[in-house]
Amino acid sequence: MMIPRRTVLLGAALAPLAAPMAARAQLTIDMTRPNFEPVPIAVVDFQGDAMGGQIAGVIRNDLQNSGLFRSIAPGSFIEQNLGANSAPRFPDWRNVGAQGLVVGSIASIGGNIKVDFRLWDVLKGDQATGLSFTSQPNNWRRLGHIIADAVYKRVTGEEGYFDTRVAYVSETGPLNNRTKRIAIMDQDGANNRYITDGSTIAITPRFSPTLQEIVYMAYGDRNTPPKVYLQNVDSNRRELMGNFPGMSFAPRFSPDGTKVAMSLSQDGRTNLYEMDVRGRGMRRLTNSPAIDTSPSYSNDGTQIVFNSDRGGSQQLYVMGAGGGGDRRISFGDGRYATPVWSPRGDYIAFTKIMGGSFGIGVMRPDGSGERLLSNGFLVEGPTWAPNGRVLMFFRQQPNSGGRAGSVTLHAIDITGRFERQVPTPTDASDPAWSPLIPQ
Amino acid sequence: MARIDATMDAMKSFFSGALLFALALLPSVASAQRGSSVYIEDRMNQLQQTVTMLTGQVEQLQYQNQQLKQQLEKMQTDYDFRLDQIEKGKGGGPRPPGPAPTAPPPPAHGPTASAAPPAGGAQGEQLYHDAFKLLQDGDYAGAERAFKSFVQSNPRHPLAGNAQYWLGETYYARREYQQAMVAFAEGYKVYKTSPKGPDNLLKLGITLAVLNKKQEACAVFQRFNQDYPHATDLQKRRIDQERQKNGCG
Amino acid sequence: MIKAFAAVAALLVMAACSSEQKVPEAGTSVTPGSIADFKQNVGDRVFFDTDMSNIREDGRGTLAKQAEWLKKYSNYPITIEGKCDERGTREYNLALGERRANAVRQYLVAQGIPADRVKTISYGKERPEVVGSDEGAWARNRVGITVLQ
Repeated sequence: MMIPRRTVLLGAALAPLAAPMAARAQLTIDMTRPNFEPVPIAVVDFQGDAMGGQIAGVIRNDLQNSGLFRSIAPGSFIEQNLGANSAPRFPDWRNVGAQGLVVGSIASIGGNIKVDFRLWDVLKGDQATGLSFTSQPNNWRRLGHIIADAVYKRVTGEEGYFDTRVAYVSETGPLNNRTKRIAIMDQDGANNRYITDGSTIAITPRFSPTLQEIVYMAYGDRNTPPKVYLQNVDSNRRELMGNFPGMSFAPRFSPDGTKVAMSLSQDGRTNLYEMDVRGRGMRRLTNSPAIDTSPSYSNDGTQIVFNSDRGGSQQLYVMGAGGGGDRRISFGDGRYATPVWSPRGDYIAFTKIMGGSFGIGVMRPDGSGERLLSNGFLVEGPTWAPNGRVLMFFRQQPNSGGRAGSVTLHAIDITGRFERQVPTPTDASDPAWSPLIPQ
Repeated sequence: MARIDATMDAMKSFFSGALLFALALLPSVASAQRGSSVYIEDRMNQLQQTVTMLTGQVEQLQYQNQQLKQQLEKMQTDYDFRLDQIEKGKGGGPRPPGPAPTAPPPPAHGPTASAAPPAGGAQGEQLYHDAFKLLQDGDYAGAERAFKSFVQSNPRHPLAGNAQYWLGETYYARREYQQAMVAFAEGYKVYKTSPKGPDNLLKLGITLAVLNKKQEACAVFQRFNQDYPHATDLQKRRIDQERQKNGCG
Repeated sequence: MIKAFAAVAALLVMAACSSEQKVPEAGTSVTPGSIADFKQNVGDRVFFDTDMSNIREDGRGTLAKQAEWLKKYSNYPITIEGKCDERGTREYNLALGERRANAVRQYLVAQGIPADRVKTISYGKERPEVVGSDEGAWARNRVGITVLQ
């Protein structure tokens, strides 16, 4: 399956039907405020084509899963068969408790479909937003995500994150002989497919900014240390990223996609290096006798946060992107690992190990304002949605009776209020959230 | 404090130096202990562990030192203000008004201000102090009139920038944010280089934030570092706090 | 200080004694010099403390015996596998496993095994020896295994 690019065409803003749009609609939510209530929203099956119900289903699922919306069951709707081309009977929608109302109409144009959608502010009786898209019919899921993103953006003021993918490690089989393959799926779990064949262990995938490539670490034969590979997700062609005598691992793209930072181990020391993706030039970033790993570029590409045990236990350090100026930023109790810089630049997410349990938390890039969002027997490896408001990580249950505990993906918003499991066909670990898919 | 930092850095490099030195000695140790490369291996590991432990301790100490420094600086600012007031015979009472819990106004006279020659004459200075007295007494309306008249009649007085700033504070204290915004903006525009310039800009940002003009507030905070690279650490930290509070990117 | 030295010395003596008692063919049916011989009569693995990579007292005897055996049967290429328990993060554990494998390697090299004969590979927490989520299982997964081909 190719990643469809430039196949969804944003036509134009849809002209309002009723009165001109009011200066300030009421249909807003401030997700940074504590104790907000999810916005009750009604999503009507889109009219004009059988796939309209499926598109509406994708939108309902996205909005409901964000924790910011409550999707009202379509069975309770009073007004029926409402499309994008007529004004709603607002009292009917107020009666079912809706604040937002999403409607759409589908028309067939040549081989393509044109989808008009509107978001109505039910309390104001006014249109909040309206857009028109043209696409190939087999892209209907993406259309649903793009519309859900538009609704999310209009109501929260934040960019959406539904039109995205997640790379992860699919795990099957007994723990001492486990198959670990890289897989890619849509953010909601649809369109799952495998990138590696499972003949050797492959872990820690990361997307390039264009989503065209992923980097990951994979084992070779039994006597060769594992190495970092770069793989095209369309052609599945893969290449070794540098041939070093020791193990290379923990690869991460720079925000502009031109460089990959990674760890190289030799003689028991693990340091960070940066490789030029095109020229394959290599530059050393750290030089310590300790373990320096799990790098993450800042959103502007000028700094790198990483994990080091140079002070006796795993802690977080920030340095310039070219190396140097290292300073420790984590000073709380316990050990800190897998730092990930938010795409907005405002937070660094991390795994925290305290005594017998693990936690997922965030702190400011200077180390202040530490906050734990989730914890458990083993939670690990946060990754940011492109809007910097939602994190995904994995959760492992304890093994018992010689059997592996389940390993599952979970998403949580940065207030820590709303955690949900992300469905995957197999056990899953190491999620890596993609940027928004280029339209 | 800077000296402690330097000492710690010296400690840090001493320990890594010590390790290198010890490693350099190893060959001779080896020949002395024939066939004991395991012994050398052990010694190296022990030294490595020691250096690691010390590195961790130095990091912790530096962090604690930094925290103490910040506390001290805060106290220092407070003491300076009180001493300044006592020297002027005003009693070292609490700070002048303003929205104390969120924005303790920095001292009325920076050292630069008091050191400046009284170009506007003693009469102007007296007017300023009278206005300031009103502000301290909580007579905001009176202070407003007095500062306003001071600025109007002495626009080039070395204390004019201070007066403009305190004029803004008289509004802010009464929650007249619109007028406060105008006064602070004026202060920034006209008296950008006055000792009160940084405070003016900071307070302008805070007022904008209170008025829910987050974007503008963020733009002002952004501007701060560029306009006042030599602002005090306290002011810079305050800017950082405000930027975070208002979710500036 | 003297007490500690005495205790260490005592341990060393004990280790020496116990190894002397074991080494003579303890009525095993395995061919001397075979991989099975190495595993059964020498011991192919040493264990580590949580988050540590230094060779413990109890591992030194094992590695000394390994070195003796490997010098005698010098045809086997050697790979040291370093592993970790599940109580760490994936990437850090890869590096920690590498550090453990390397500690074993250095120890063997120090005992006279040629450096170019010994490779290392880390499995981090990806290939545990024992499936379990208790200290017993974790202790056996913090391991350096000497694998012969």
